Amino acid sequence: MTSLSAQLRADPTSFVEAPYDEAFNFSREELDEIHLHGLQKRFNELRPRLAVLDALAKEQGIEHINHVDDAVPLLFPHTVYKSYPLSLLERSRFDRLTHWLAGMTTTDLSGVDASGVQTIDDWIALIEKTTEIQLLHTSGTTGKLSFIPRTRRQWDDTVRITANSLRDWHGAGAGPDVLKNHMPLVIPAYRYGASSSHRGVDRMVRMYAGGDDNALFLYPGAYYSADVASLAGRLKAAEARGEQGKLQLSPALLARREEFAVREGDRPEQMRRFFESAVERYAGKDVILFAVWPILFEWAEAGLARGLRNVFGPNSVLITGGGSKGRVLPDNYRQQIFDFIGFSRYYEYYSMSEIMAGCPRCDEGNFHIPPTMVPYVLDPETGEPMPRSGTHTGRFGLMDLLPDSYWGGLITGDEVTLSGWDEPCACGRHGPYLHSTIGRFSEKQGGDDKINCAGAPEAHDKAIDYLLQQTQG
Amino acid sequence: MKKIWRVPLIIRGEVIDEGVVEFGGRRGGATFTTPEVGKHLEQLALDRPSRMADLYSLSFDDIAEYLGRLGERLNLDTNPHMQEAYELSRLTSGLSDSILRNHYENIPHFFRPEVARESAENFVGIDYLEGWVPQVSKVNPALTVKVRAFGARAVHVIAGNSPGVAAQTVLRNAITRSDAIIKTPSNDPLTAAAMARTMIEMAPDHPLTRHLSVAYWKGGDTKIEEILYHPKRIEKIIAWGGFASISHITRYLQPGIDLITLDPKHSATIIDSDAFADETTLRHVARRLALDVGAMNQEGCVCARVVYVVSGTDAKGLEKLNQLGKLTFEALQALPSHLSTPHKAFDPELKSELDGLRFAGDEYKMFGGRSNEGAVIVSQSDAPVDFSRLLSGRVCNLVPIDALDEAVLSVNSYTQTIGLFPESLKDRLRDRLAYQGAQRLVSLGGAATLFATAAPQDGIEPVRRMCKWIVDESASAELLEGLALAPDATAAAA
Repeated sequence: MTSLSAQLRADPTSFVEAPYDEAFNFSREELDEIHLHGLQKRFNELRPRLAVLDALAKEQGIEHINHVDDAVPLLFPHTVYKSYPLSLLERSRFDRLTHWLAGMTTTDLSGVDASGVQTIDDWIALIEKTTEIQLLHTSGTTGKLSFIPRTRRQWDDTVRITANSLRDWHGAGAGPDVLKNHMPLVIPAYRYGASSSHRGVDRMVRMYAGGDDNALFLYPGAYYSADVASLAGRLKAAEARGEQGKLQLSPALLARREEFAVREGDRPEQMRRFFESAVERYAGKDVILFAVWPILFEWAEAGLARGLRNVFGPNSVLITGGGSKGRVLPDNYRQQIFDFIGFSRYYEYYSMSEIMAGCPRCDEGNFHIPPTMVPYVLDPETGEPMPRSGTHTGRFGLMDLLPDSYWGGLITGDEVTLSGWDEPCACGRHGPYLHSTIGRFSEKQGGDDKINCAGAPEAHDKAIDYLLQQTQG
Repeated sequence: MKKIWRVPLIIRGEVIDEGVVEFGGRRGGATFTTPEVGKHLEQLALDRPSRMADLYSLSFDDIAEYLGRLGERLNLDTNPHMQEAYELSRLTSGLSDSILRNHYENIPHFFRPEVARESAENFVGIDYLEGWVPQVSKVNPALTVKVRAFGARAVHVIAGNSPGVAAQTVLRNAITRSDAIIKTPSNDPLTAAAMARTMIEMAPDHPLTRHLSVAYWKGGDTKIEEILYHPKRIEKIIAWGGFASISHITRYLQPGIDLITLDPKHSATIIDSDAFADETTLRHVARRLALDVGAMNQEGCVCARVVYVVSGTDAKGLEKLNQLGKLTFEALQALPSHLSTPHKAFDPELKSELDGLRFAGDEYKMFGGRSNEGAVIVSQSDAPVDFSRLLSGRVCNLVPIDALDEAVLSVNSYTQTIGLFPESLKDRLRDRLAYQGAQRLVSLGGAATLFATAAPQDGIEPVRRMCKWIVDESASAELLEGLALAPDATAAAA
């Protein structure tokens, strides 16, 4: 047994210290041990302190985890982090929302007095100010935001693990060690926000770039509002059903229309300034670029139209993901992006808001699951786990072993094909991996009401337009 | 090997059964082939309106007699076409076999001469269908106006959640002497065709047989719809169904085409505090509520989903409401199997929402919802669940309120039926509910069990609107000539 596997077996969070590449060299026995011990540790430690887990375990009659598959009945449905009533947001009952959130985490929220809070943004800020939690919200599947109670330390770990992957994914030290040697950070998005693509940014600025002086944003002072994201999701869902007229808006949100209007009016100017600064400050220099594909394409298209090409240095890195779902991109969209940015070294991840460390993509196109995540392929009809051998297609379930203050077990809405239990990937890495054919069950069933992060900016604009159209009072 | 079903194209008495295009049925249950409708469009559209004339050689008695004979032949036990339609529906429908069989067994009743007569009388008026009806005017006695209801050339885009929709369409087409092209849905592509085939076997040359066509094409197929949905070929489109299917039809609208939509709807329930009078009353209410939720396995737009109850929202009120929830769930489980069973294809998206509710702390209480048995979700505050539009498969949501107003204001034009308890609530709320947009008020328990066949639907009168209302105005020759003359000339002429 390697020392790393022993270390991960004892404490999955020690992954943050690990040479990242070694985590994909474990034998099957080592991996099984890490998975089983990790599940037992999380279950035993969290159950007494997490009422929702305890209730589920009681109901399922589970006292011990003796096999990896024993944890399947304990995986939470993907609806869990949005199981609060939407009316709590519409009526600004953030005291009750806090009470709901308290059930999801071992972090003590008893000192949070949210009774006077009017907006989601203020609520998130209050939680951050008074507890260890820096909430993350999703971009709003079916019009409802999920809230995930991640702590400061967990955020630190997430951002560090990503840095480790940049350094070691293609071999120890083959990539830049941004934690040691800072690089300029360029993000064609908001500087602030609590959504899945904005929450880590604060740390990236600090830990990768060494501060705001070495970072560039499309909207430098702006905050990606959870209230607007929530409205965007609800609008889209209502539109899809032809029920737009039924939407209820909270007075607090209506009152903020002015603020949004000013920001909207300023957008073309900010885009111009962004391009100008990118060229002026970073032309030919190596940078870290962070954005999902569709946003990069939008940016590249605008940049190419301005006659900009090969903007950054050849040893820059792109951190990306998100596929092209929700938006039709031309076949050569990646080439257009590379032509614009001037480099083609990218790190792509399969990830989701609920998990701390994503699955990096190899040159074979597969997404490799880090040892701190226990993957399950579940029969879409029965929910039963498929064998941990061979190749199987079904609903993706997982237990993220990294979080120690909330339950990392989840049944996702994604359909995946998983291999790698018996044979290494053609790229040489060991352990389970997902094929690139990842789809959503909701789309398969005919409904496409998910706003994924790729579609979010457009939905966000629409929401602000809608809000501006509403007459006050 | 998986069975591939053949769905014929039927054009005015002719059966075309050369299955060449393959389609997958809904819920992944069945695959079927059809002829290529695009190749037969010329015949499918009745572009010579004069060919409607043969329908007018029939008296209403002839029509009623024909329908009566047809009804007898649509017996599921003896009619192989209906048996085949039933077998395919078992795979494509959301209804369990026992409920589906009950629906098929009821079809002959739709066609009884007395039902046809009453429907025609109440919907349109048989005298208007049979001839020119003088309109009395006290204002202008010199003018005689006569009105007659004529049939029209129409495409019916029908829903497939119950075979009754196909039967109703055939009936309505016959009594209005119309020419129907029924565009069938993929979740019931055979029932309308089975009826048309039975008509052909019974009376191949009868005008009613010769004015019914049945086709399946994928809704939204522009190659077909751009040609067919044209004022030269049809006058009306009667569309049942979802938001998407109706939105794509609206692109073909132009002067000369009348669109009659039976929109997607949801239904609700309002129960006043009288329900809590005593234990016996509460049980009684629970049973009737279970009927509104469970009948037709909640596959109909008429079925109850969100249930507003004036229980009060304080702890005592919630306790009472939770008791009603428990009793309703028990009553739901006890419903007879020809009305309701556990759902055979419970929506997985709804299931994950129900699973999520366990984590919502004390915001909701749920009875059932473990598997496909159905569920009663009791909100512990006065707001429905956020996924109320997904409620199906015998899942309802009881919402406590302090005053009836809250329930009334939640009603809008997407609300079809409202079940009410007690009966006196109707007198108190009926007008206000109508202003809000509700379209049908029923005694609790009657939402999906009482079907007055001859009543307006969705707040409109689709059968009246299927007709063309033609006017004949007469006045005396002198009066008309007089209008052509200047007043002084009139005086001179006199």
